[in-house]
Amino acid sequence: MKINLFEDKKITDEHIDIYCSEVRPVIKQVMDTIKSERPSLPGRPADEDLDDGEEIFLDPGDIYYFDHVERKLFAYTENGVYRLMTTLSSVEEQLTPYGFVRISKSNLVNIYKIKQLKPDINMKVYVSFDNGERICINRSYKKSFTEYLQKMRRMS
Amino acid sequence: MKDFIKSYLIELCCSYTIISVAGAIINMIAGTETNNVNVIMMFIFCNIAVFVLSIHKFFEKLSPLAMIIIQYVVACVLCAIAVQIGTIFYGPVTPRAWFELFRSFSIPYAIGAALYYYRLWVDAKKQQDLLKEIQDLNEEKK
Repeated sequence: MKINLFEDKKITDEHIDIYCSEVRPVIKQVMDTIKSERPSLPGRPADEDLDDGEEIFLDPGDIYYFDHVERKLFAYTENGVYRLMTTLSSVEEQLTPYGFVRISKSNLVNIYKIKQLKPDINMKVYVSFDNGERICINRSYKKSFTEYLQKMRRMS
Repeated sequence: MKDFIKSYLIELCCSYTIISVAGAIINMIAGTETNNVNVIMMFIFCNIAVFVLSIHKFFEKLSPLAMIIIQYVVACVLCAIAVQIGTIFYGPVTPRAWFELFRSFSIPYAIGAALYYYRLWVDAKKQQDLLKEIQDLNEEKK
C-alpha cells in the first residue's frame, strides 16, 4: 500500500484521505486507529508464517492479555492470537495508562476485560476473562496490582 | 544480603519478644515455671521459624498451599534436629515431649495458614470490588 505524507505549516485544516478499491479489514483498522485515542499495536496472526499474512493493527481495547513465551510476545483477543514484534516491557510502558498491568513476569492483562478475581484452593489468585481463560497472579506482583487498581480508581 | 540479615533480625526480635511475653503470661496464669533449657529452645525454635518463613521467595513458582506445607515440613525437621542435638547436653527426650513439641508447633502454624488464606480471600474480594468500580465508571464514560 502506498502512503503519501504532505507536511505543510500553512495547512490549518488537517485531514487524511484514504483511496482504496474496497474497505478491506486492514483499511478499517487504519481508520479505527486514526479515530482511536489509544496507541495501536502492529501484529500478525500467530498461526501464520511471519513473512506471510497481512500485518494488522490491534486496538488495545480488544486485547485480553499479553503472554511472553520463549522470547516471543503474543496478544490474545476474542478473534484470535497475534504475534507482536516488540517486547513486553515496551508494551507495558505504552499501555499502562490504558488499563494494562503486569501480573507475572510474562503476563500483562487488560483490567477492563477481567471478569473475576478468585483465590483457588491452592491459595493462588486467578484472573478470569470474558472468554473463559484464566491466569494466575504471581505473589510478587500482588502488591503492585492492587496499587495499580487504586491508582486507576482515583483517575477514573 | 545486608537487607536480608537486617529484616531477619528484626523479625526474630519481634517474634521472640511476643512468644516469651506470651509464655510468661501463661506461666503466671497457670502458676507454672519455665527453665533455662526451655528459654534456649524457644529462642532456637524462633530462629528456625523466622528462617523458614523468610525463604518463601525460593518457592515463588509453587502454589502458596504447597509452600506452606513444604515450610512446615522443613521447620518440623529442623526443630527435631535441634531437639536431638539438645539431648546430647540435657538428656533424652520422652515420646510425650516429642508429641507436645509438635503439637505446640503445629497448632499456631495451622492457625497462621488459615489466617493467610482468609487474608488472601479478603484481598481478592477488595480487588474484585475495586475492579468492578473501575469497569462501571469506564462504561459510564462510554
